[in-house]
Amino acid sequence: MEGAERMSEKTLLRMEVNGKTVEVLIDPTRTLLQVLREELKLTGTKKGCGKGDCGVCTVIMNGKAVNACLVLALQAEGKEIETVEGLGTPEKLHPLQASFIKSGAVQCGFCTPGMLMSAVALLRKNPHPKEEEIKRGISGNLCRCTGYIKIIKAIQNVVK
Amino acid sequence: MQRFHFYSPKSIEEALTYLSDKGDRCKMIAGGTDLIPALRTESLHPEFVLDLLEIEQMRGIREIDHTIWIGPTTTFTEIVESDLLSRHFPLLVQAAASVGGPQIRNRGTVGGNIANASPAADVLPAILALDGELELQSKTYGKRRLPLDEAIASPYRTNFRPDEILTGIVIKKLEEGTKCGFEKLGRRNAMARARMNLSVVLQMDREERVKELRIVPGAVMPMARRVKSAEGRLLGQKPEASLIEITIEALSKEMVQVAGVRWSTGYKVPVLKNMTRRLLRELIETD
Repeated sequence: MEGAERMSEKTLLRMEVNGKTVEVLIDPTRTLLQVLREELKLTGTKKGCGKGDCGVCTVIMNGKAVNACLVLALQAEGKEIETVEGLGTPEKLHPLQASFIKSGAVQCGFCTPGMLMSAVALLRKNPHPKEEEIKRGISGNLCRCTGYIKIIKAIQNVVK
Repeated sequence: MQRFHFYSPKSIEEALTYLSDKGDRCKMIAGGTDLIPALRTESLHPEFVLDLLEIEQMRGIREIDHTIWIGPTTTFTEIVESDLLSRHFPLLVQAAASVGGPQIRNRGTVGGNIANASPAADVLPAILALDGELELQSKTYGKRRLPLDEAIASPYRTNFRPDEILTGIVIKKLEEGTKCGFEKLGRRNAMARARMNLSVVLQMDREERVKELRIVPGAVMPMARRVKSAEGRLLGQKPEASLIEITIEALSKEMVQVAGVRWSTGYKVPVLKNMTRRLLRELIETD
């Protein structure tokens, strides 16, 4: 009865990811992060704390940087999602990706996709941020390796 | 996460009907920054989740005569970027700007901050200091208005009726010359729960006496509220240093009386006093 009803309900989710329309049948309890990584196999977006504290799951949704772990997948219905896979390719890197590599802003690389997406969102809103504004723009992204300085420099190098 | 049905209506009416039908088996979601972590730790297991984000009637920031109306699903980012709010309630903008980080602010909502009623909320105390009122609606009881200072029953619990949805926040514009300010202390500069925050609204009269004063400390009592025993020391008086000392003493006394002596009291008493003294001085001295 109610139990069976709860177990079997899957809902169609339709959204745009990196410019392509996708449709997936999912359980309502799925988060956007889970759907991106598991159903859509876009594993560039990382799973970290699962509660919006670390920022490794940062994607851009309808133009705004969000923690994908805090978006129920069905809340992404009809929305435009951009992940790190949509930024560039190894053959054609996004300027930020190239700058991160050149500036030594990547150590273990785990925070990098989230950092890139936050940086993209920041520069769209504010193409010429001051250092304090860059820091604020990535204040939702933790990095355990670099100490942030080279990440900030990598973003500044793109701004010049 | 235990299984639930998800419903995302486009109108308040549909939401009210759903909520009145499902009752306490249903939890509302807006930005999800409080709800989703709770669902993950299974401290909550609703059978139904009602999404409020697609309801246009709950969005927006509008001037209505001598008040400003704020839709409850307005995000912290939208508050920060609002010219109207920056002009009329800088305190509210500062409070919203202090929440989390960019990603959290892009999703977290003012309505959620109120409905979650955390003792450490940042925006809730700011709206208390601004004497904000809530517009609530339910299928059973219709519409009503509730002052925010009557809306919080206990930590994490509002006085909303079981099938009530917060549909608006109304704040009266401040009189010309009224100043307001906000400060927050946390373990970090961002992504930090408030260890202490402070919202102050201050208006002086032409004789340099305090005409209006509202002081709301947050994260120091189970429920944030105006501390009238402190405000009363300065009302109608010139804000001389000695009087400010008496005021902040009354403030910290109230905190200890209400919250009891805790491990943090030795820290919070002097820090609350210093913070309040500093913010009061700053507001008194600016034009």
